[in-house]
Amino acid sequence: MIAAARHGRAKLIAVDGVDGQAVFAAARAALAASTSGVPAGTHGGVSRWDASGIFQDLEVADEDAGSPSPRTILLLYAADLAFRLRWQVRPALAEGRTVVVAPYVQTAIAFGRAAGLPAAWLDNLFRFAPRASERQVVAARDPNAVAIKDGFVGRASAHVAGKDTPACKRLITATEKRLRRGRHRRSRGRGDRPTRRAAP
Amino acid sequence: MPSAQSALQRARRLARQRFTDPKRRRGLLVAFEGPDGSGKTTQRKLFKTWLKSEGYDVVTTKWNSSNLIKPIIKSRKAVRALSPEEFSLLHGADFRHRVEQVILPALWEGKLVIADRFLFTGLARDVARGLDLDWVLKLYQPLLWPDLVFYFAVSPVTSGKRVTATRLPSYYEAGQDITDVDDPVESYQRFIARVIREYESLALIFNFITVDAEQSIAEQHRQIRELFIDGQRRPWSAWNVEAVADWLARDGKRQ
Repeated sequence: MIAAARHGRAKLIAVDGVDGQAVFAAARAALAASTSGVPAGTHGGVSRWDASGIFQDLEVADEDAGSPSPRTILLLYAADLAFRLRWQVRPALAEGRTVVVAPYVQTAIAFGRAAGLPAAWLDNLFRFAPRASERQVVAARDPNAVAIKDGFVGRASAHVAGKDTPACKRLITATEKRLRRGRHRRSRGRGDRPTRRAAP
Repeated sequence: MPSAQSALQRARRLARQRFTDPKRRRGLLVAFEGPDGSGKTTQRKLFKTWLKSEGYDVVTTKWNSSNLIKPIIKSRKAVRALSPEEFSLLHGADFRHRVEQVILPALWEGKLVIADRFLFTGLARDVARGLDLDWVLKLYQPLLWPDLVFYFAVSPVTSGKRVTATRLPSYYEAGQDITDVDDPVESYQRFIARVIREYESLALIFNFITVDAEQSIAEQHRQIRELFIDGQRRPWSAWNVEAVADWLARDGKRQ
């Protein structure tokens, strides 16, 4: 959650990774480092988000509704991110606070690439998200030990691979590799809101 | 194990073979588009009845109707907290899920799919909400183009009269999320004028068949039958190969 009061210039820090627990721990450390020297209770906050609300909604759907594909999952993740940006992140940044987002778009893009989606499509999808001024990728000590259904990647992998545990683990490991390599394309345009025209 | 790239190449070959095989009745996709109150649902029902009498195996899919995503959209609309981006992305997810679960499987089996609203609804409404057409269009990639798009053209005044004759438009239908107008009827008039402008641009860009929806119901239906008989002879659009291959590559059974 984003807490506390104004802290100088607004800063958006992204912490990405497949291991939900490790990402959150790193996010707290990043916040502490970024706000050291600031009186307690007046620094920014960590925006921890794994789109769990969306996944809970998916889990209660009827069986005949069919499983979402990686593309559908990422559209839903992006929708949830739009909500998070509108109501949580942008207002905090507008007040000059430091916000640590954990995870952010790189985790979702790495998952999409691991699932075989085109980089250009993923790049466009997240064009509405502001660019982070600092980025960190938290390496999982053992991707095979990352729990299925933990964090965004674990939950998304469980949806895509269903009950096929080895396939699920392969997807988590492939996402981890993508994140470490960081070879997904980044367009110059990312960070610009897609809105160009004034609403009526 | 074949690589993702070779699976995609194989899927492209399969898609071309299936949809251009002269020995099979190929699947056809017909979209009905237009603003609320244009009468497209009435025409869609008449068209479906006629097609069935002609021996077609018909599947209908409606906008925002997937069992998986529709409840999510409904609950988020209820709290009136959707930004234009979130609104657009959720409807894009619903559309993608229906493409993969309903539309492509039916087309693959040689059925005729009638879409009561297609991705052009998303484009017109999202651009009317101020979003960039290029961004929205790319959300819908890989694009699946209908064989025929009937666009039911009405003026904003007619649309407003027909919609408000029996009910008040809902918050998002009236575009109250972006007009800041408290009166839903007034907001609807402003918003639908903008949506119709976007539809008219799309009709030119994407070569819709425009039906004058101010004519009688019977006259419109007669016109649609004639246009369909001519239009169904069009060859399969090779533009669709990527959309079909993307779906096939994830569905090992059909490969």
